[in-house]
Amino acid sequence: MNFAEYLRRTEQIAGKMLTSGWNEASSTIEPLSDIILGAREVVVTMDLPYVDPNAVKVDVIADDTIEVQANTKHKICLKDLGVKHRGTEFTLYHTVIHMPVPVDEKGMTHKLKRGILEIHLPRQT
Amino acid sequence: MTDLVRVVQKENLPRKFTLMNGLPDVGLVGVVAGSQIVSTLRMKEVGTVESELFPPLVVLHDGVPKSPIRVFAKESLAVIIAETAIPAGAVYPLAEAIVNWASVRGADLVLSIGGMAVQNRQDIESPKVFAALSDKKLSNLLNGAAEVLGEGYIVGAYALMLKRCAEIGLPAIALLTQSFYNYPDPEAAAAAVNSVNKILGLNVDTSELLRKAEEIRLRSKDIMKRTQTEMARINKSQEYDVPPLYG
Repeated sequence: MNFAEYLRRTEQIAGKMLTSGWNEASSTIEPLSDIILGAREVVVTMDLPYVDPNAVKVDVIADDTIEVQANTKHKICLKDLGVKHRGTEFTLYHTVIHMPVPVDEKGMTHKLKRGILEIHLPRQT
Repeated sequence: MTDLVRVVQKENLPRKFTLMNGLPDVGLVGVVAGSQIVSTLRMKEVGTVESELFPPLVVLHDGVPKSPIRVFAKESLAVIIAETAIPAGAVYPLAEAIVNWASVRGADLVLSIGGMAVQNRQDIESPKVFAALSDKKLSNLLNGAAEVLGEGYIVGAYALMLKRCAEIGLPAIALLTQSFYNYPDPEAAAAAVNSVNKILGLNVDTSELLRKAEEIRLRSKDIMKRTQTEMARINKSQEYDVPPLYG
């Protein structure tokens, strides 16, 4: 990874930590997520309340980066959560996650249980 | 040190009361469980916790600005709930201020509700509740509501409260329920409320927590994210560690 890429990723991570995760410009929700680095695989989990289990899409967009898009079962409106001054409706979770090591797309599996998406990605050998 | 954080009590409490803490940590178990108890029992706001160490914010409820950390009470139960992450730098003075206030005001038990992260949480149908005690004799109060923790680390405000309570002889129990580390866990909160029901003889319904679990997870997403940052700062993950000494 060159220095420019390192800076870009650092900015992305800092941006995720500092922003609320409700992206009104794109009407998407940045889900809570976690990465566990194992000896043979990387496991990524994310919390997706109200997700449509049949509308979860996981793509390996680089050998160390995945993109997840998941539709919600219905529109989520901040007004319904009591935040009346923000009217944006959300129907999509979206996140791009950088892996700590390169992963192998071929062996990727994912499952949804208790509303938590669990993605298993074998490490490249 | 206690002046850094102040419990501002606006109304009287009974001469003897139980103080329950619902501070944000693993799985937000304490916040979710505490909120359910406060709303079900229709507890009244009787005070706030104030500090310049906290973020400069108020929470609007029905258009009224509220302190993000408040004290609620009804009869002989008081509950402290936080609606904002506790900054790592405020953990020590907050724990000391709460214990000192509870001690001076006549609390006879400090019951702290929190989570205990387990990596296989997705595979657990019924989260177990464990109890860390300031005194072994307090196991008599558990009524089978929790399994006593023998060995391990506890990190954060509850750890400090437990230690301080043990030092001054104020009975304290930290109820820690198996939960997700990084995600709000209403199921774990329901298990925690069931344990509180047994210990305090309450009858708080937990079905709403399960019915509204998705809404609670979504609502709590932002405070969970900010809590994650603070948990990292206090090395909360050390709770996974095994202590080197035993016996």
